[in-house]
Amino acid sequence: MSTHAATAPAALPSESTSSPCACKALGVGVAGIVLTIIGLFVSDGHAVALSWLTGVTFWTAIAIGMLMLVMIHHILDASWSVVVRRQFEHGLAAFPWLALLFAPLVVVSWMGSHDYIWTWMNPDAVIHGGHTVGHDPLYVKKAGFLNLEMFTAMTALCFIIWIWLSARLRKASFAQDADGDLKWTLMNRKTAAFGLALGAITLTLASIYWIKSLEYHWFSTMFGVWFFSNAVRGALSVGVLLMLWLYNRGDLKGILNTNQLYSIGMLIFAFTVFWAYVTFSQYFLIWNANVPEETFWYNLREITKEGEFSQWGWVGMVILFGHFLLPFLYLLSYRNKITHTRIKPIVIWILLIIAIDLIYNIAPALKADHGHGDPLPFLSINLLWTATSIIGVGGVFFWAYLKSFPKAKLIPIRDPRINECLTHHE
Amino acid sequence: MSAKPYGLIATFDNTPDVYHAAEKVRDAGYKNWDCITPFPIHGLDRAMGVKRSKVPPFSLAGGLLGFTTGMLLIFWTSAVDYRLIVGGKPYFSPLYAFPVSYELTILFTAFATIGGMFFLNGLPMHYHPVLKSDKILSGMDDKFHIVIESSDPKFNLANTKALLEQAGGKDIEELEA
Repeated sequence: MSTHAATAPAALPSESTSSPCACKALGVGVAGIVLTIIGLFVSDGHAVALSWLTGVTFWTAIAIGMLMLVMIHHILDASWSVVVRRQFEHGLAAFPWLALLFAPLVVVSWMGSHDYIWTWMNPDAVIHGGHTVGHDPLYVKKAGFLNLEMFTAMTALCFIIWIWLSARLRKASFAQDADGDLKWTLMNRKTAAFGLALGAITLTLASIYWIKSLEYHWFSTMFGVWFFSNAVRGALSVGVLLMLWLYNRGDLKGILNTNQLYSIGMLIFAFTVFWAYVTFSQYFLIWNANVPEETFWYNLREITKEGEFSQWGWVGMVILFGHFLLPFLYLLSYRNKITHTRIKPIVIWILLIIAIDLIYNIAPALKADHGHGDPLPFLSINLLWTATSIIGVGGVFFWAYLKSFPKAKLIPIRDPRINECLTHHE
Repeated sequence: MSAKPYGLIATFDNTPDVYHAAEKVRDAGYKNWDCITPFPIHGLDRAMGVKRSKVPPFSLAGGLLGFTTGMLLIFWTSAVDYRLIVGGKPYFSPLYAFPVSYELTILFTAFATIGGMFFLNGLPMHYHPVLKSDKILSGMDDKFHIVIESSDPKFNLANTKALLEQAGGKDIEELEA
């Protein structure tokens, strides 16, 4: 069933310039960031900070997903994904910029506005029940892990590891374009072997520090896995969009065939099921055990203090059906995975619902009455700042991608598996 | 030899020959025919005009049946047949019926897929006329064959033979039924 790449790709060196697009992406990015900064003068600083956290986390998750996919590709010696891998490698160029964009959140925390984002950073904050964070046994026991120094060091360490792994993977892959030396493939395989372990640990750490600790009373051993499933699914979806964009531009004509799309579509399907499995397990175990330190997290997202079904409850329903059921049924079909016009809407939807999932996990940390009331509703001005943050960071992300794009060949032409990839067959 | 042969078998020396011959047979409109090759040839299914497998609907039906069975099983046992409060939970909730439904979805999908596959391809088949011919031995070794069955509506001994010859087939023989 393959469209064999009999016609050799004519424009192998990516001399097709990407700079006008890059400037446009940067423009969108700066516009989004400026709008978010304007938000600081319109809304509460805490709300805008959480929106910014959502925006940076969304794109960092996608970059992490790309990093993990590149390493999974190398460790399994996969052949079908060689062409897709190159686009992910360009995406990895965004890590230093994401670190820069995350930095304001750390700086604000150090500047003493401790209650801006993570409550546990302020030992004097009064919590539910009248006592302070510093005297809260649930904080004291976790204080060795949850303190500003550790937070800063671990966030820095995560970004350093991601940037370092990306640099190694990119260097080896790009160098192979020139000399075709097999040692680069072997080097990447070794990087992947320890990089996957490092990646798993760092992405878990990051998700716990950045998102889960917003409610530091809460426990969930599934959280890192939940973050990973969203990250990889987001990266695959962005990968599909990039491949289709390059195909329509003419770059990948004769290279991208239906079987590569079929394979990537199957992976998105697999991660749809994986996400559902993990998310359901988290909910089910907490529901079944019925321990107050855990159930309160879902109560915040389902009912008001008066016990009425809240707006967040509806968001949860949208996630249940939109994050799982809809893509699950849609992606069962073979045609929906290989037809360009059919796979495109579903990956855009998946990216949107991943953003909503992140908002669902982050935004309810923002509560009325100085943190003692119900979570502020989903539909509010804060959603606008979340949107501008996602657009702003996204612009920078694609700017980094486009700036990296001309640095290497369009596809890894001297990769030992490239022929197998171009004639990839079901 | 009986009056009506099972079909005609033609031999080809290499992959491109059999591939292009398959395209000709496909374009001539034959339905009941097959290629015998010692190894899988990428793209041959398209050259033969073979459509995608019809197994997926069987899998889907199996999956839906499994999910419903799981839900009904838990509903019947815990909310109807033997009502028992466990851990302060309701008699029935889709939440705790889910693990069972999920497992049964996978199990029934697997059964339906395997069953549907055997149903559609007619296996196990204990006898096939091609096995009587010596050609099958070379077809499993270093030669490629096309067999057109006489059950095909377009089959006509002379015309079909001419088509195979024109497609480059050598050593064309009638297969005993």
